Amino acid sequence: MTTTPAETATRPGSPAGSAPVIQVKDLSFRYPGADRDTLRNVNLEIQRGDFVAVVGGNGSAKTTLCKTFNGLVPHYWNGDYAGSVTVDGQDTYESTVAELSSKVGYVYQDFQNQLVRPTVRDEVSFGPLNFGHEDYAERTDEALEHLGIAHLRDSFVWQLSGGQAHLVALASVLAMRPSVIVVDEPVAELDPARAREIYLQLRELNERHGITVITIEHHAEFVAEFAHSVILMADGAPVWHLPVQEAMNRHRDLEQHGIPAPDAVALSALVLGEDEDVALDVPTAVELLRPHVFRGFTAAANATASVTGIPLAAKPGLDGAEPEVAGTEPELVASLRGVEHGYRSIGGALRTVLHPLDLDLHAGEQVALVGTNGAGKSTLMKLLTGLIVPRHGTVEIGGVDTRSRSASALADRVSYLYQRPQQMFLRDSVREDVAMFPVGRGREGAEELVDRVLDRVGLNPLAQRDGRTLSGGQQRRATIAIGLAMTPSLLLLDEPTSSLDVRSRDDVMGMLASLSSTVRCAVVATHDMELVANWATRVIVLDQGRVLLDTDPRSMFSRAEVTGQARLLPPQAARIAQALDLTPTPLTAAELRTCLRTPDIHTRDILNRDTQNTEASTYSSLSKETH
Amino acid sequence: MARKTRDVLSVEWVRLELLRTAYSTRGGLLARMDPRMVLLWYALLGIAPWLTHNVTVLIGLFLLGVVSVIAARVGPLVLGLFVFGLTTDIIALFAASFLFGGDWDTLAALAVLNLKIGVMSMASMAAFISLEPEKLSDALLALRAPELLAFGVSYGYRMLPILVDEYITVLEGMRLRSAAPASRGLLGWRTVLHWSVMAVTAFYPIMLNTAKNVRTTVEALETRGFTYAAHNPKGRILRLAHLRVRGFDFAVIGTTAALVVVAFLIGAEYPVYRIG
Repeated sequence: MTTTPAETATRPGSPAGSAPVIQVKDLSFRYPGADRDTLRNVNLEIQRGDFVAVVGGNGSAKTTLCKTFNGLVPHYWNGDYAGSVTVDGQDTYESTVAELSSKVGYVYQDFQNQLVRPTVRDEVSFGPLNFGHEDYAERTDEALEHLGIAHLRDSFVWQLSGGQAHLVALASVLAMRPSVIVVDEPVAELDPARAREIYLQLRELNERHGITVITIEHHAEFVAEFAHSVILMADGAPVWHLPVQEAMNRHRDLEQHGIPAPDAVALSALVLGEDEDVALDVPTAVELLRPHVFRGFTAAANATASVTGIPLAAKPGLDGAEPEVAGTEPELVASLRGVEHGYRSIGGALRTVLHPLDLDLHAGEQVALVGTNGAGKSTLMKLLTGLIVPRHGTVEIGGVDTRSRSASALADRVSYLYQRPQQMFLRDSVREDVAMFPVGRGREGAEELVDRVLDRVGLNPLAQRDGRTLSGGQQRRATIAIGLAMTPSLLLLDEPTSSLDVRSRDDVMGMLASLSSTVRCAVVATHDMELVANWATRVIVLDQGRVLLDTDPRSMFSRAEVTGQARLLPPQAARIAQALDLTPTPLTAAELRTCLRTPDIHTRDILNRDTQNTEASTYSSLSKETH
Repeated sequence: MARKTRDVLSVEWVRLELLRTAYSTRGGLLARMDPRMVLLWYALLGIAPWLTHNVTVLIGLFLLGVVSVIAARVGPLVLGLFVFGLTTDIIALFAASFLFGGDWDTLAALAVLNLKIGVMSMASMAAFISLEPEKLSDALLALRAPELLAFGVSYGYRMLPILVDEYITVLEGMRLRSAAPASRGLLGWRTVLHWSVMAVTAFYPIMLNTAKNVRTTVEALETRGFTYAAHNPKGRILRLAHLRVRGFDFAVIGTTAALVVVAFLIGAEYPVYRIG
């Protein structure tokens, strides 16, 4: 199945007769000081007007490849460079980064750092002004119009939400009127719903304005839905470059390189023969699967089928009913009574974020807090930590009013893990960071506790490194270790799976699932609906500072009016199941599979994405670092 | 002591005040002017007090400073710091002059200096509070300051809110994870020390994080023609084309100049060179 790098110049979806916009010939590149080539003998053609997804595992040189298109390699990163890259007929080696910037626009994964001016208008016109384009004002307006963000013109950059900031970064490269746009992992820093909006905009640019779009992407769901062709990278060279349908038909190749197939692909592959085309999106999958549904979904049927390995029978409310509380009331961990909070804006007005809110959190619960940005999730979390106290009402943690104790004293009971791991690395090494709390407070057996926790998250070999030098998944595990070492009864996590590739995300999910033995109650604020479906036993939907719904995941996902209002996108498997009218709704591919009569028993393997294996493989690749 | 949410004198308030100040969200008289003329206005009021020792003139200029601070809508944080600075300075001088055998005369002589510094500080507050980042950077460019300085100023402004947020987050983390001293100590000195240590050490992770983040920024600057612009003046001309000096600017500068002259005239009529 795997071809050698030298013979990869396939030309999928090429409009007949047009010259490729990007042509890569025998390209090799080695970063200064590195002991091996990062790019190895790459041959590639990208057609004008294509929508290309570059996929591949960590360290497969996806980003480096894309940086050769706009000349950052070799002009900014000057290492050993051999071969040639031609963009729009121009050899990048003989060109400059400045010249190429009007041909290729680049939106970074950490796009926030690419914004350099205080206001949106200034930011977007920065490029055209620097290059002395007389029509910079028109270019700015045009770019903002194209992306539908003209109303943000006079906003300050720091006022933008993540999705808006990404669009501004995109607008600022669009203003250079490039023929190619490279977008590096839009999903990494955005929640899936926003990332989808970005993709819709990219499709618009591609279809309406003929711009060639290249995205680097881990999430195969977006690839299947939006890309026209797919480049699979491995070890510094393309394995193949194929039209998206063929690429998805080879989902086993993708799986092998750390790109799990989207649910639509995986499920439709179950019912199809070897040579048939898999479904790329939900409607197609529904069509293909409908004849094979032989029974409804039942709780009993899925007791063994959980992806994360938690027996689903332990989850309350499988049949859509409220959790049954029989006999003894579970211990109360935190309670909020009539809690109201708000912030002052720049203008001085008080903006209410939480309206009077009553909530009880009990021992044994795994709570997911969901809702759009600004729904009040972070405020609620901060109230629970005691970092802030409510303007009205009371917050009690284990019977103690947060007003009566300092946040520092409350940290004995509650620990809060920030969304950005960087912000939690306060010391020189992971070990010191983990030890900071227990050792600082003179806990008995603190050192042993630190050892145990580090061992549990698999970071012992890396414990002496600075947290910032670790990969995304490792950083996240380090923060979980910091939280665990505080031995809290209430653990709060803000977006624990954001900006992780799929493997690391499964890894973190598995870790969260195993927390129940140590932490009485865990609350996760998240946009990640896969996490909600797989991990949570209770979901609280916040909308504009009010609790819209408080139930179990399955009931929530089967209520379209709620998911619609709170702008939540159920996992793809759940969307397929809903379209198939299965009630109660299966939430994962594994659950949905139990409703299908499958002809080929072997293809089932692709659905058994066992978390144990995933963890093992991630741990074994701990030392791999990406550029 | 029960904790409560405060709207002033809290960390959140300081953050908001910094932003209001930096981005001149309150508007005001000088904010409506051409940025180059604001700098000219600043030069006028900033230099005038150093041309005289006449206390009458200085008091006149001081009053003019007070008026401009009000007209420019300087916020309570900056104003509070200014008043605090000026009073502690006076108290310190008072103490020092008596400790070293000085008398009222020394103090009076120093008061003249304090008046001059006061006028200049108020002019600075009024001027810089009215210049939002883009305007300031354009003004610097227009006055032929190096590109890098002009860019640095605007980039600094763009980073300020983000760094402030990051600082607060790190400080919160420190509060939660470090152990507070068991006893507060005399006048709470242990607590003060604990907070001071946290406030300083919180900079360390931020510097490392920022150092990591700016790698992207530097690459992005390259792709967006920042170095190209340094050799090609056309961008600068385009960028500054929108600057216009209007009648309003001349009116403000003219009035200020006239008032300065009036202060000097009154001073010539009723000169006071010594207090007390």
